[in-house]
Amino acid sequence: MTIPHPVRVGVLVIAATSFYTYVGQMVPQKEVQPPQETVIRADLTTADMVKVGREIMDGKGLCFTCHTIGKTGALRFPDLDGVDVRAQTRVAGLSDIEYFAQTIYEPNAFVVPGFNPGMPVINKPPIGLNDQEILCVIAYLQTLGGTPTVTLQTSHHYYTPAGAPGAAPAAASAQGVAPGATPAAPGATPAASGATPAAPGATPAAPGATPAKPTGAPGAPPAAPAAVPAAVAPAKGTTR
Amino acid sequence: MANGLMNGALNRKVMFLLGPVTGLVMFGAVLMVATFLTNREYKEPYRAPTSIVEPTPRVDGLAAERAAAEAAAKATPYAEAEYRTFPIVGSRVAIWAVAQLHLLFAAFVLAVPLFAFIIEVIGYKTGDPRYDRLAYEFTKLLSTSFSLTATFGAFLTFMLIALYPKFTNYLMSVFSPTFLPYVLLFFFEAFFLYTYYYGWGKFHPLVHLGLGLGLNLVGTGIMLIANAWLTFMMSPRGISDQGAVLSVWDAIYNYTWMPINVHRIIANVAFGGSVAAAYAAFKFLQAETDEERAHYDWMGYIGNFVAISAFLPLPFAGYWLAKEIYAYSQTLGLTMMGGAFSWLFIIQAVLIGNLFLAANYYLWLGMGRVAGMQPLQKFIKFLLIGIAVCFAVWATPRSIIATVSELRAMGGSTHPILGYLGVMSAKNTAVNILILTTFMSFLLYRRTGKVATVSWAKMGHAAQLAIFAAAAFIVIFLGIYGYFVEATVRIGLSVPQVSSVLAAMVSITAIDVFLFRGASKTGEVRWGKIPVISQYVLIFIAVTFTWLMGLMGYVRSGLRQHWHVYGVIRDTSADAFTPTLGFATQVVSATVLLFFLLIGFVFWITSLHDKPDFVRQPETGHREGAGAVSPAFAMETPGEHGRSS
Repeated sequence: MTIPHPVRVGVLVIAATSFYTYVGQMVPQKEVQPPQETVIRADLTTADMVKVGREIMDGKGLCFTCHTIGKTGALRFPDLDGVDVRAQTRVAGLSDIEYFAQTIYEPNAFVVPGFNPGMPVINKPPIGLNDQEILCVIAYLQTLGGTPTVTLQTSHHYYTPAGAPGAAPAAASAQGVAPGATPAAPGATPAASGATPAAPGATPAAPGATPAKPTGAPGAPPAAPAAVPAAVAPAKGTTR
Repeated sequence: MANGLMNGALNRKVMFLLGPVTGLVMFGAVLMVATFLTNREYKEPYRAPTSIVEPTPRVDGLAAERAAAEAAAKATPYAEAEYRTFPIVGSRVAIWAVAQLHLLFAAFVLAVPLFAFIIEVIGYKTGDPRYDRLAYEFTKLLSTSFSLTATFGAFLTFMLIALYPKFTNYLMSVFSPTFLPYVLLFFFEAFFLYTYYYGWGKFHPLVHLGLGLGLNLVGTGIMLIANAWLTFMMSPRGISDQGAVLSVWDAIYNYTWMPINVHRIIANVAFGGSVAAAYAAFKFLQAETDEERAHYDWMGYIGNFVAISAFLPLPFAGYWLAKEIYAYSQTLGLTMMGGAFSWLFIIQAVLIGNLFLAANYYLWLGMGRVAGMQPLQKFIKFLLIGIAVCFAVWATPRSIIATVSELRAMGGSTHPILGYLGVMSAKNTAVNILILTTFMSFLLYRRTGKVATVSWAKMGHAAQLAIFAAAAFIVIFLGIYGYFVEATVRIGLSVPQVSSVLAAMVSITAIDVFLFRGASKTGEVRWGKIPVISQYVLIFIAVTFTWLMGLMGYVRSGLRQHWHVYGVIRDTSADAFTPTLGFATQVVSATVLLFFLLIGFVFWITSLHDKPDFVRQPETGHREGAGAVSPAFAMETPGEHGRSS
């Protein structure tokens, strides 16, 4: 019996589409859900922020679409292993926090040599992390080669927490000194490693003050009363 | 005899009833679907107050229910719905399928006039009536396809308004200035298309060619406007962060608009050529005479030639589009190539590999039409090896799906050796060599049965070979070099790779044209003398092209993931997630099958054109002159379609 050509053609069409459907089932199957909104509680500790930061980088932040941790070879985007060590000295005048903030809010201000510009602005859509989420991301990034010191009260060039003591308008904070911030006691130790020196115009710490500690560090003893306002003020890079 | 007459009368009645019955069945089906949809609307169940449940009779209860529903409806303030749900498959799949069908028919309707016009020009310039007939035959496919395109376009618009009202409203507010030009162009397209089709042979050839040109210009204009809408969704521009319109022109001329325009024109031609070739193949298979077989073999060859000619530069247009996607948003680019959609390109590699293999196979089969092809046949095995190797490289994934023990043995998800073939350096090299190889196949086919007679023939052949070797060397060298340089340098290497292949194709073709001018023939082309399997290859190519269009349409649209307009209007519907590739391929397959069912209908309608008219034959026997008829078809061949001028 001869099978009519139209039937053969029909079988061919069905067989070809079935084959391609089969190929489609053979590749990894992953359903990508829209990113969940992260709830950032006001009382998060730095350790909590590190965890949240990692989750954000995995999900809503889409960081690991491009970046890797611990990968070598011909990379298309910078690997993040030990990034905090590099961040402390990457750009003269910027602490690791300030550097991380710059790469997130203003990614094309500095591009790592050997790589093309490609980092999107993270605080705007489509990624659109908010300021608190970005602080969490910075906290996680600090763990990659350093010690996390960021708190939800940490301010930087691009953000000043509304409830932070001595919170100032963005323009003022950009100058590095919060209006009304009391000068730190003389003899206060510099801020934690990697911190950028206070912005020009920042008053030296008061003599005899207890060494200032990163305000967000778990278990950190309170700094000398005179030094505290300086430590929490949104002075550029001096809050840790 | 009486029984025969009875049967004849019964048959006639049945045939007479066929039309209205089919109409009634269709109407019933529409009613059933509408009822089904209406019944699926969610309604708040009526709950009578407990105090009146017992004493209230049923009639009063129903009246109370109606009154309560009416009061509730009056009390509800107007609120614009954000989404509505399509039953069973959901809104996204419904829109997806309808949009895909609309695009497939639109691509066909835009592409066919393009090459029909070019073939008509060739016919006019050469004076060969075969070309004119061929162009007309292609154009015959347009009429029904145009109606189906418009139907699916309207269907898509209504579905968008009904299922995604808020988003559609936003898109309309941005692009409202483009709607009137779109409608006008659509009207003009109908004018040009039907005048071009029905006016074939009725006007002066130049007037008719002018109509064809008008049809192409208007069709392209329609596509450019529609492309602005969809590319805006992917790479919005000309609006504020909150979505307010700042410049309509900027919204139109967004990052991906022009690359999509170019990519679609080329892809449409490739797709249209392949479907037209499938039509010719179908007709070839049903042909009863050698003359018909010769004609449809030639038509299939031309259709396939158009498809593959457009297919060869398509990857380059794809590069440009991808480059612009990266330029607009690295996140978008990386989602495409390195994120959720990266495995889709392995499926694409399988499709394109099949296309190249099938196209080359058809060309090699076609060499059998011409005597004197034996000297060239020995090259085919090398071409086949080249294609198979490139295919394998292109389809090699960077990360391999493996069990835990296999992963441990490999030292990661990347194979220690094959992993090197999964990166862009290898894949770019493979696709460029694949294009070069197929181009060589074309060249061999073109030469079949010809011997160059120009005085510089030897030198010409040597120059062509040298250019081919140089291009292959550059592509392979840069591919290997890419492994040893930084990403910034490596990304840029694809440009000289592509440029060298394009330059080789252009220069070798240019030499070939002059080399074979006045060539002596070793044998005539025997159209129709080709194995039947070649026609199934043409149909397979058309299916693969269609499937590929569906898949790439999905990635272009799906890239936005949970955004209607990327970064501006977020998708908050239940369908906001990105489905698995397996699911996506199922939807693509379903739409492709539906498309071929419908295009089969188009082919059938078109083939009616060639059928002879039904004629009533006088009844013989004792009821002479009673008006009884028996169906019969005139045996004369359909009138040749020629120009009157």
